Amino acid sequence: MAELQPEDLQDIQGIVMSGFGPLHCASYVMLRVTNAANARRWLGSIADQITTSEPPPEEIKALNVALTSRGLKNLGLDADTLATFSRPFLEGMTTPHRQRILGDADENGPKEWVWGGNNAEDLPDEAKAVDIVLLMFAENEDLLNVLLAERRAEFAQSGIEELRTLSAGRQDDSHEHFGFADGMGQPAIEGTFQVQKAAPRNVLKAGELLMGYTNDYDKPADSPRVRAARDPNGLLLLPRAAAGADGATSSQTAFHDLGRNGTYLVFRQLAQDVATFRCFVDEATRTHDGQLDSAARDSLAAKMVGRWQNGAPLVLSPDIDDAALSDADDFGYRDSDAHGFKCPIGSHIRRSNPRDTLGPDGGTALKTANRHRILRRGRSYGHRPNDPRVPDKIDRGLLFLCLNSDIERQFEFVQQTWINNPVFGGLNGEVDPLIGNIKKTETSPVDPAQTAGGTQSDGLFTIQVEPLRTRIHALKRFVTMKGGAYFFLPSIRALRYLASL
Amino acid sequence: MKQTILTFTARVKPNHVSQLREVLDGMGKDVENNGLIPFPRLKLLHFSSLVLNVDPNYGAYLVFENNFDGLLDPYLEELYAQASPGLHEILSHCDGYPVSNSPDKAKLLSYLRHHVVKPNAYHIGNVGRSVVRTHDEADLRNAIEDFLDDVVKQGSIGSAASIRQRVQAFVQSQPGFGWAASVQPRQTAMEHFLPRLKIAIVAIVALLLLPLLIPLAVIWIIMLRWSETHEPPPAELDIDNHIRNLVTREDRTHIVQNHFASITIVKPGTFRRITLRGVLWVANLIARTSDKGELSGIPSIHFAHWSLIDNGRRLLFLSNFDGSWENYLDDFIDKASTGLTGIWTNTIDFPKTSWLVKEGARDGSRFKAQARDKQTYTNVWYSAYKQLTVQTIDNNSQIRENLFTSLDDTAMRDWLRRF
Repeated sequence: MAELQPEDLQDIQGIVMSGFGPLHCASYVMLRVTNAANARRWLGSIADQITTSEPPPEEIKALNVALTSRGLKNLGLDADTLATFSRPFLEGMTTPHRQRILGDADENGPKEWVWGGNNAEDLPDEAKAVDIVLLMFAENEDLLNVLLAERRAEFAQSGIEELRTLSAGRQDDSHEHFGFADGMGQPAIEGTFQVQKAAPRNVLKAGELLMGYTNDYDKPADSPRVRAARDPNGLLLLPRAAAGADGATSSQTAFHDLGRNGTYLVFRQLAQDVATFRCFVDEATRTHDGQLDSAARDSLAAKMVGRWQNGAPLVLSPDIDDAALSDADDFGYRDSDAHGFKCPIGSHIRRSNPRDTLGPDGGTALKTANRHRILRRGRSYGHRPNDPRVPDKIDRGLLFLCLNSDIERQFEFVQQTWINNPVFGGLNGEVDPLIGNIKKTETSPVDPAQTAGGTQSDGLFTIQVEPLRTRIHALKRFVTMKGGAYFFLPSIRALRYLASL
Repeated sequence: MKQTILTFTARVKPNHVSQLREVLDGMGKDVENNGLIPFPRLKLLHFSSLVLNVDPNYGAYLVFENNFDGLLDPYLEELYAQASPGLHEILSHCDGYPVSNSPDKAKLLSYLRHHVVKPNAYHIGNVGRSVVRTHDEADLRNAIEDFLDDVVKQGSIGSAASIRQRVQAFVQSQPGFGWAASVQPRQTAMEHFLPRLKIAIVAIVALLLLPLLIPLAVIWIIMLRWSETHEPPPAELDIDNHIRNLVTREDRTHIVQNHFASITIVKPGTFRRITLRGVLWVANLIARTSDKGELSGIPSIHFAHWSLIDNGRRLLFLSNFDGSWENYLDDFIDKASTGLTGIWTNTIDFPKTSWLVKEGARDGSRFKAQARDKQTYTNVWYSAYKQLTVQTIDNNSQIRENLFTSLDDTAMRDWLRRF
């Protein structure tokens, strides 16, 4: 019997089970606590309105909420309890070490961010710090504006202030700004209705995406907890581990599970430079006599992504954008494309999820890769450009949201060990061609000591071809980090508990 | 070609600890250009680290890790020639080092020799590749890559055979690559054969002694199971602050390589001490046959070693590896949990284990917590080739070794895929 029971879905916020696709418009309202008691009361009133993960009736709006560690502190959560949250969440996204592993250096660095950057020890920028994010979704722009106005009317008396609102307006289609279909290739949570549409290779233990459940190591996923005495009304559940798992002692019932049915939300605002991207693929594929070559251009862009514009994965359909395969996700690379002749080893989707490739055999490789999955809930923001080749100075990009129960082992691992790893999969001196931390200019001075004995050619992308590979040079930085934070996406119970403090 | 792995391990004078830490941390800030040990000039040196470890019971130790080409004597000569004033300054903070204003060669080298700790078990990723060879082959590969870019740019790529011919002609036309054609074997036949012979002999001896070994094994198993079932469960570890300190040094080489140093206390009692010594002995026997760059399926370790110190009461582990800490530890858990559980289960705070190698590290979070808890801050870390992985170095060697050999069509295609 599955660990996660149908009734748990009432306790889990809706964004875990669904990206609210039919609700075309979204606003993410960044808030700060100005008065803890009022803010808690407000949070309690929100708790009843949260959209949960129960299979949704036809809804026209949705509301979810998440908090940073700063937010928990400002709401009055005690230090002992706060310390039971995970280290990345407590430290935030901007420690010097995280800047290195996430690729948030240079223009991507927190100094340049427009929001976020909580907790940075060496640059505590209070003006940009976020406590709470309201995730608001609606069927159309008008409704969303009405809902937003209603909320804003509450803020002043509710002990909170609005720092910034990021709006993901209605887009023409589900393609991101570079022109590619997005949102495919998601893991499914074992024991939920997500599994019905998922290939077995993409089904994860509940503990990988929700705290308090068994994770892929067959151990309870780390979960923040409160001393039983601090939860006298029993608003929270007991830890599952207390039910007979090894090492369980009566001491575990001394704690209540604050994290259960909740998870961590990673939020990153990634600005996309559409004109630079489109011009780059145009110029890189000009014919020998200098003509534009639209087929070669589309092919190069697809090679960088690993899927065609409408979604067909290159590994299944290397030559054409096969509409029938647009959301195909039941595939590996090992047997059909070990050398990357179809889907380049360094392409974006092969880096973000190497599936069955990295390991002594396909089974082991898939098992280990699946310990680093994330559930993506991103949406595009900003208008499409009129002419995608002309820079128009309009801010647009992706509001990247993802869920995972272990930020370090999942989101940060993907970013560090796969996306920004210059030696990923045997490559030599290149990072993710789409979202990697590529230096602004190829000629930027590189520390000679760093390059000693090897290559450090940022801006390189290798396309494996039989018999001879092609190397694309001088890639530009197409995506720039504009702000971000780690949030706790609490269960409804945990929300009520926080409101009761 | 032989490579040597060892540490110089010395006690630090109790009242010199903070001084020495300052010296080391100063070196660590800009390791290539530090004023004490000019690492890049040590042409035999692959990786080196200096670790100052302070333990409430064992006191302060300086661990100076050296992974180098050839034997100890020539390396010591080079070390002295390039770094004697700096070494003198560092060692002045250590117990028993003769105090003087300037280094005395005989005394300094004799001090180092007396403080050599040889590993109980070790692993080398790129067997037989010297520092010089590693650099040369990387340069060669990069030059060929650039040449191949031109081939692609000119448009007429042609067959695998014709591409290869052009590459050969290109390399021959470059006077700087004159060395490329004369390939030295990575290992002599003896170096390859002896470790395997040793295992065979051990197996035969064990078979012969079977009647004697069986009762011993039964006793050992009973003691092991008793120990495993009667030990207190490992304590909860509070490691967040310790990790905050450790990570300040990590992922500085564009994430290509990292260093891991840990000192773990062996569980009390002679049983665990003897068991650990035995496990390391077996591990070393097996590791000596590894010449494909992998240690128990882990393809990313350049140099790693285990040494029992303090009369076998503590276990020192030093590793120079590719990729992130998380990835390294995951590899341990996913691919080598049997071997590493067999080793570290004999040390304190390791996750609950049964039958020496079962469970243990498979409890991923707890294993990582123990590894972090026992990890000790690396004050100084040097790599002779920060941007090269074990796999890249091996690939570069394969490119060079097969550059002028005669290959059939399949092998030629395989060779071209190395670019």
